[in-house]
Amino acid sequence: MRAAAAWAAVRRSTVEWSADHPWIVIALTLLLTLAFGSQLPRIKTDTDPKNMLPVTSPVRQYNDQVEGWFGLHPDVLVVGVWSPDGIFTSETLARVNRLAEAVLRLPGVIARDVVALPTVNDVTVVGGTLQARPILDGVPRDAGEAERLRRQVLGNALLVNRLVSSDGTTTALYVPIEKSANGKLIAAEIRRIAEKEAGPERYYIAGDPVARDTFGAEMFRQMALFSPLAGMLMCGVLFLMFRSWWLVAANMLVAMLAIVWAMGLFIGLGIPVHIMASMSPVFLMAISTDTVHIFNEFTFRRREVGDRRQAILQTMDAVGTPVLFSDLTTIAGFASLAIGPIIPVRVFGLLVAFGTLVVLLMSFTLVPALLALTRQGRSAAAPRELEPASRWLGRVGGICVGWKTTVALVGVALVAVSAVGIAKIRINNNLIAWFKPGSEIRVADAHLGRALGGTATLYLVADGRRPDTVTEPAFLRALEGLQRRIEKEPVVGKTVSVADVVKRVHRVLNDDDPTREIIPDSREAVGQALLLFSMGARPRDLANLVDNPYQKANVMVQLRSWDAVDTEALLAVVRRHLAERPIPGAVLKPAGIAYFNMVWNDEVLIGMLEGFIASCVLVLFLLILFFLPWLDRSPDMPISVLSTLSLGMAIDFAIHFVSRFQQRYRETRDLEDALIWTAARPGLGIVRNAVLFASGFAVMLAAALTPYITVGAFMIAIMLLSALATVVYLPAVIALFPGRLTRGL
Amino acid sequence: MKRMLCGWIVGLTMVAGAATAPAQAPGGEEIMRRSHLAMYYPGEDMRARITMRLVSRDGGERVREMTMTRRTVKAGGEQRYFIFFHRPPDVRDLAFLVWKYPGRDDDRWLYVPALKLVRRIAASDKHTSFVGSDFSYEDVSGREPEDDAHKLLRDDTVVGRDAWVVESVPRESGSADFSRKLSWIDKATGLPLKEEYYDRRGDQVRVFTAEELKEVQGFWTVTRRVMKNVQSGHRSEAVLADVRYNQKLSPDLFSERALRAPPVELTR
Repeated sequence: MRAAAAWAAVRRSTVEWSADHPWIVIALTLLLTLAFGSQLPRIKTDTDPKNMLPVTSPVRQYNDQVEGWFGLHPDVLVVGVWSPDGIFTSETLARVNRLAEAVLRLPGVIARDVVALPTVNDVTVVGGTLQARPILDGVPRDAGEAERLRRQVLGNALLVNRLVSSDGTTTALYVPIEKSANGKLIAAEIRRIAEKEAGPERYYIAGDPVARDTFGAEMFRQMALFSPLAGMLMCGVLFLMFRSWWLVAANMLVAMLAIVWAMGLFIGLGIPVHIMASMSPVFLMAISTDTVHIFNEFTFRRREVGDRRQAILQTMDAVGTPVLFSDLTTIAGFASLAIGPIIPVRVFGLLVAFGTLVVLLMSFTLVPALLALTRQGRSAAAPRELEPASRWLGRVGGICVGWKTTVALVGVALVAVSAVGIAKIRINNNLIAWFKPGSEIRVADAHLGRALGGTATLYLVADGRRPDTVTEPAFLRALEGLQRRIEKEPVVGKTVSVADVVKRVHRVLNDDDPTREIIPDSREAVGQALLLFSMGARPRDLANLVDNPYQKANVMVQLRSWDAVDTEALLAVVRRHLAERPIPGAVLKPAGIAYFNMVWNDEVLIGMLEGFIASCVLVLFLLILFFLPWLDRSPDMPISVLSTLSLGMAIDFAIHFVSRFQQRYRETRDLEDALIWTAARPGLGIVRNAVLFASGFAVMLAAALTPYITVGAFMIAIMLLSALATVVYLPAVIALFPGRLTRGL
Repeated sequence: MKRMLCGWIVGLTMVAGAATAPAQAPGGEEIMRRSHLAMYYPGEDMRARITMRLVSRDGGERVREMTMTRRTVKAGGEQRYFIFFHRPPDVRDLAFLVWKYPGRDDDRWLYVPALKLVRRIAASDKHTSFVGSDFSYEDVSGREPEDDAHKLLRDDTVVGRDAWVVESVPRESGSADFSRKLSWIDKATGLPLKEEYYDRRGDQVRVFTAEELKEVQGFWTVTRRVMKNVQSGHRSEAVLADVRYNQKLSPDLFSERALRAPPVELTR
């Protein structure tokens, strides 16, 4: 009770001061907005899935280690060259040669590790002489030479489906880029180089960095285009509801301030914008509609109370507490996201929480100041007391109270059904699928997936736990067995390991006899084959597959799909295979971008969805059981506990419903009447609020990137469903268990 | 006798070069020609036990131990190398023979003990790695100074030793894996103390450092050399022990027959 009194005193003095010094409040707000706004141009985006997990996460640390052991690069572009006549013609190979030359000179490209026909050495035997030279060592002069090259390349298991498609129509360049380089810009450079070539060839550029950086650029567009659009749409809906441009403008002003302050603070702190944070403006616009309650109430009071200052104070007395509570729950809900392991979710949660704090601050400072300055209020059309919609809602409320047990049971049944549904949710994260079908990047990815081994990389690292394990024939055979097994899976496009290298060299040493493309029986023969290979190939060709002490071997798996679920299924196959045929003395661990996406997928999306679903399902019921008895007392512990289960927004409806119901009940002492009245009158406000929320998110349905569409659709569903639940289930549940809510009133 | 004379001439030119240095510094071409002789042609023959450590960025190590012998057929010209592997055990007895000719491709042969096979190896690419290390074949047997244009840039000191800094640019751009090389040539011995290799974009790729110089039988020798790939973080270190010059090594040692059955004193 003491807390409530203290709050009332603080609130009143703040509101009074603001109403008395409107210009000072506005000037201070403007100053702070300039300070935060000046940070906005420093915006950076981050779309690297690795940064989704903290640097300290074991998966990330292991991945970095694997990259260190095998000299691998996290960011690799894949450039495909396709020719209708096959790539083995002098013209096409000359173009491939020129393309590779130009790519090697591009800044940001890690030239030494570009893998392409002109940069990879092949070990062959010609007339008893071993040769180690680039596969494409000068362009073939005639068709005969080109045909010989075709046979040589297609006969080399290390190259087929990796560098050249098995039908000889596509070749690939794997272009690793520096961490600081922008994949989208390098891809554009490469495209420009390719465009200079007139020929029948087609060029495809795919790979994780292109997708990520294209996505990053798209995120800016999303923010720059869709946030204002969402704002405009919400303005339109607000106007239709309240017929007051002034109210619309003031409401949007609060939203804009919240966005500028929150984004400014985070950008100023040097935190990059992730996909989640890029959606925060729309969330903040939706949250700031809470101030509608203040304006709405003010229009009533202004008519009843002649004095404007008095009207302001009374308005804030009436709606101050619900506004405070709903904003606090929102803040607690979003801030609770910061507990989770996923960095973008943390940033998003804190960003929206801070923005909501700004909305809360504005509600008690800027809004009263604006109200003090305006002559508006009279002209705003009063919402008619019993609109048809309101009458209809009242009838629905009546039915729900009448059939309370049935409605409650149906509700419980629906929750049970949703629980079953939730258990069946298979979340899938696919960076490429974030782009719409037909987009350049998806076309490129699809072609490279069909023609070659695919663009997603998975590493299976077999650690022999002591040096020189890798040269044991049994180890290599087990590795080979694993490769043959997973190659049966359609998602696997290509696998390469040190076993393939040993087999290849063994065959070459035996006068290119195809029947000798086997793993030799002695450890000496293996070691010597590897030494020979390291004399002819580039150091990285072996280093990518086996570490220096020959203790760990890396099976490089190219996947035709970026789907996290496919990686998960494949790893299950690997586990089953290893259970039957273990690699002697070795443990096997996955790494690479495909694995990373899978882990991320599990942690981020499942975690987030759990939060969302928990918020809309649990909140409505738990709120009633635990939270409301505390509502008029002190808003401390239970709020934050509950809010960890929710995102706070859906609670707003319940808070408004219950507090208005309690007010009505205090006046009439008639439970049924109070419920039906609440469903009809504040119920309409709740439905309006939900429609307003939903309209803001509806803009996201038109986005070019599917995550925005998904989140938009999801938020619309949550808003509309929770509003519906509030006006349908709350009356029924309160009618069933009235004691807790009416006790002490 | 002729070979011994060659050695003397080399030695004398070095001394003369050093003596005249303060008065008039030799040109870049001259410095590199002498350095080439000092590094790759001392004595009429030479043998050493080489321990080569390949170290990756994260510290993972691979050690190879070999005996290398070298016989100069003509000073500044034709040479023969015989390399016998001792360690690791799986490559023991593997042997490698190189006949180096100026102005044309080397002849190379390899004996693979597991298959009891001698295989000829085409040597079209001298920039490929020497047994998986950061050294290339060229770094082991020397790149002909005539292949590059050399320019003396300035004087400098490397760990207290006076050196000339020479810039070398390949005369034919495709003939080398570098676009530019800076060498710090020790004024006293003519040996390279440090080399920096730059790629086509002008970025530094590899750095060679002579970490230990010893005088053996009157010939200054780099007994510890490191080549580091600054881009990949991988480095290779070669330590030469038991260096001996002018052992009167038999020409028969540098033959295909010796690959299969090398003399016992080399295989111990």
